[in-house]
Amino acid sequence: MADTIGIWVAALLTLFIFSFLYKDNPLYKMAEHLFIGVSAGYWVSYLYQNVFKPNLYNPLFHQGKLLLIIPLILGLMMVMRLFPKIGWISRWSIAFIVGITSGYYLITYLQTNAVDQVRASLLNFSQINNIILVVGVLSGLIYFFFSAEHRGVLGGTAKLGIWFLMVAFGASFGYTVMARISLLIGRMQFLLGDWLGLLH
Amino acid sequence: MGMGKKLSQIDRRIIFLVIGLAVALPLLFPIGLQIRVSEPAQRMYKAIDQLPPGSKVLISFDYDPTTMPELYPMNIALVRHCFAKDLKVIGMALWPTGVPLGEEAFEIAAKDYGKSYGQDYVNLGYKAGDIVLISNLGKSIPQQFPIDFRGTPLEELPIMKGVRSLKNIDLVIDLSAGFPGIVEWTMIAGGRHHVKVGGGCTAVSAPSYYPYLQSKQIVGLLGGMKGAAEYETLMNARGAAAGGMDAQSIAHLVIILFIFIGNLFMFLGNKGKA
Amino acid sequence: MSEKLRRKGRGCRKGGLIPLAAFIFFLFLWDGAWAEDLDTLPPSPPREVTAFDTPNDAGGSITLTWRKSTDDGTGAGDVTAYIILRAERKEGPYKEITKLPAGAVRYEDTTTKDGVDYFYKVSVSDGVNISESPPSQAVHSKAQWFNFKRLNMLLAGFILSLGIVYFISRARAGKELYIRKIAGLDAVNEAVGRATEMGRKVFFIPGILDLDDVQTIAGLSILGQVAKLTAEYGTKLEVPVCRSVVMVTARETVKEAYLDSGHPDAYNDEIVHYLTDDQFGYAAGVDGLMLREKPAAIFYQGAFYAESLILAETGFSVGAIQIAGTAMPSQLPFFITACDYTLIGEELFAASAYLSREPRALGSIKGQDLGKAIILFILGLGVVLETLGITGFSQLFTTQ
Repeated sequence: MADTIGIWVAALLTLFIFSFLYKDNPLYKMAEHLFIGVSAGYWVSYLYQNVFKPNLYNPLFHQGKLLLIIPLILGLMMVMRLFPKIGWISRWSIAFIVGITSGYYLITYLQTNAVDQVRASLLNFSQINNIILVVGVLSGLIYFFFSAEHRGVLGGTAKLGIWFLMVAFGASFGYTVMARISLLIGRMQFLLGDWLGLLH
Repeated sequence: MGMGKKLSQIDRRIIFLVIGLAVALPLLFPIGLQIRVSEPAQRMYKAIDQLPPGSKVLISFDYDPTTMPELYPMNIALVRHCFAKDLKVIGMALWPTGVPLGEEAFEIAAKDYGKSYGQDYVNLGYKAGDIVLISNLGKSIPQQFPIDFRGTPLEELPIMKGVRSLKNIDLVIDLSAGFPGIVEWTMIAGGRHHVKVGGGCTAVSAPSYYPYLQSKQIVGLLGGMKGAAEYETLMNARGAAAGGMDAQSIAHLVIILFIFIGNLFMFLGNKGKA
Repeated sequence: MSEKLRRKGRGCRKGGLIPLAAFIFFLFLWDGAWAEDLDTLPPSPPREVTAFDTPNDAGGSITLTWRKSTDDGTGAGDVTAYIILRAERKEGPYKEITKLPAGAVRYEDTTTKDGVDYFYKVSVSDGVNISESPPSQAVHSKAQWFNFKRLNMLLAGFILSLGIVYFISRARAGKELYIRKIAGLDAVNEAVGRATEMGRKVFFIPGILDLDDVQTIAGLSILGQVAKLTAEYGTKLEVPVCRSVVMVTARETVKEAYLDSGHPDAYNDEIVHYLTDDQFGYAAGVDGLMLREKPAAIFYQGAFYAESLILAETGFSVGAIQIAGTAMPSQLPFFITACDYTLIGEELFAASAYLSREPRALGSIKGQDLGKAIILFILGLGVVLETLGITGFSQLFTTQ
């Protein structure tokens, strides 16, 4: 019984959202606001239960891990953003986060997205695929080289680079269309199958 | 008024309706179009298939209900494959919303293969921390997850015996809907702790992960519902994803047709002006 | 022939003296089960068990190596597993820490406490019998200051950082740093000019992320330039934002631009206004504004997610000139298709540096260009060497 009610609620809300495709209407607005409200509430309770309690509250107040006073203070400083006059205090916490994240990411990013990729691009020219890949990487890099005017050979190569980029964007666009259609299929499977029982 | 102009001013609701029908009709009346398996999916399948029985696989459910049509079918297919090969599966999530979805997939697959919780699979649940968490798992898994999703201490679970850190994991599979996801696992688990990483992602993000596949930083990749359908084909088990492929193909055909007609009339219109 | 096989052989000869036993032996052999039932002899133990602190790590790990039992793969070939035992005293008690499949010759114990002495034994099992190696020498784990395996990463990071710091200091010292003009920037004048001619507004959308995202900051630099033009031409500007901090900063930026161009009276706080923090709520709000105000030019400069297409499509439908710029790869295709000009990825930062001439922004772009030049050189050289069959060079870029 509970399942049936759940399916009906979900199906009706899906139809309310779909109704926007015809035109904006109160049912769509209701579904949208309900979604925003429910998700905000869900996140607040989830973050409290799964982040705040196990990572700060319990260890600090029940297990006596006093070192956690530092993140507590940084957290409180972050909340100061709510008060415009002393909002600047939150910058220190943000600086802490930005500093840690940059330090953490700098080398890891450099390794995964630069050095490892360079190594994987050091290919011999025995296959056509290798040639396309290397030419694509080189011309793409030259397109994003800002210290020289794009003229002559450099300009030609940069132009080739932008062609490669456009092909990549085209592929990316295609994949996005595919993803959106997949989501529609998922909803249709729910409506036609779980709700109406027309699919087998 | 020229045909091109008429087309450009067509009520978009007609396009929505045509796309809706192109999706719904093939679902109601399946055609059974053939699903061709791509190389990245084949590589993912091989990476799991080659693992000896008893190997430890960590699956991170980093997705949410909004990307369920794409990632949930591959979640089920991947877990099924692991169970079919008698691998031990450790589930966890960097997205809180992924935990119940992963749990559901576990239950479905475990029923089919007669696997038991704690012995053959476990769900460690969600923990905040993103990349820092992945990094810490490289040092110790029990320290990050002292208890599992159901509240059982890790040392009481037979599957966790000998699993101290990521070093004891033979393969990490990430089901990735964005950040944190497969890039973070590749950077930290793969790059720093040298664990094999593979997985599935939404079709939107698949093109940006192909460079990692080419450089062999990830062992395989399933892209979107199509990737899930390919995996179901490899497993010889038609599921929700394979069932949706007819609709996907027909919808794509309709879209291609729209693009073609639109461009044709625009081209002809421009020529007429010139 | 292994010691175990020889011992097994002797056992068989002894039994072979009695014909009945020989007969039974034959029956068992026929059944294929004799080896298991007669196997009372343990496999030969692993040899040369060595334990040492795992090098290049942060501590908490000891590595064990050994030579396989002569019955593993060769000899009796019936080894099923290696069992790793550990104790804190040489005489024990030894506790099993893990079991490894046959063929293993190495194990990394990642559960050690730094500074504590450990002793290890590796025992081998054939499923029935077990034999143990003698204990290893005492060993303790400790953290190393430096991971030499990642030397190439240090070098890469160092060169890149040094390049950026060098160029920033040059820019600060007032040296002229050249950055080529970004093609899309020419269109800025054109777009604002068109809005002026038509007597309509210019919209500027600085993305949906907060001020801690570098794309938002780059976007605001470009806003400064756009605001200068609108102030000069007397065109109306509207900047709807979805973050309160961005609103405050954008107001400062626009105010300064109006002041610089000599039209402080044309500025009012209403130019920059807040809508909502919610992603799609913001998108819906901006869409509504576009439909009502019908701006002649729209700028999207900053970080965007799924709302990019919704915004750009609405902008297109009201007939505005649209100039976008973002470093979000997944959103770029939408902007490229729906907008007249798009600053792709790093072009957004370069454009912002070009316009603001801010030393840090300029230095970063130049430093990164140095990195790109080095990569181009490495790629060129590496591809030539690879094609010639010289593979050693690419090994230098193998990361650990």
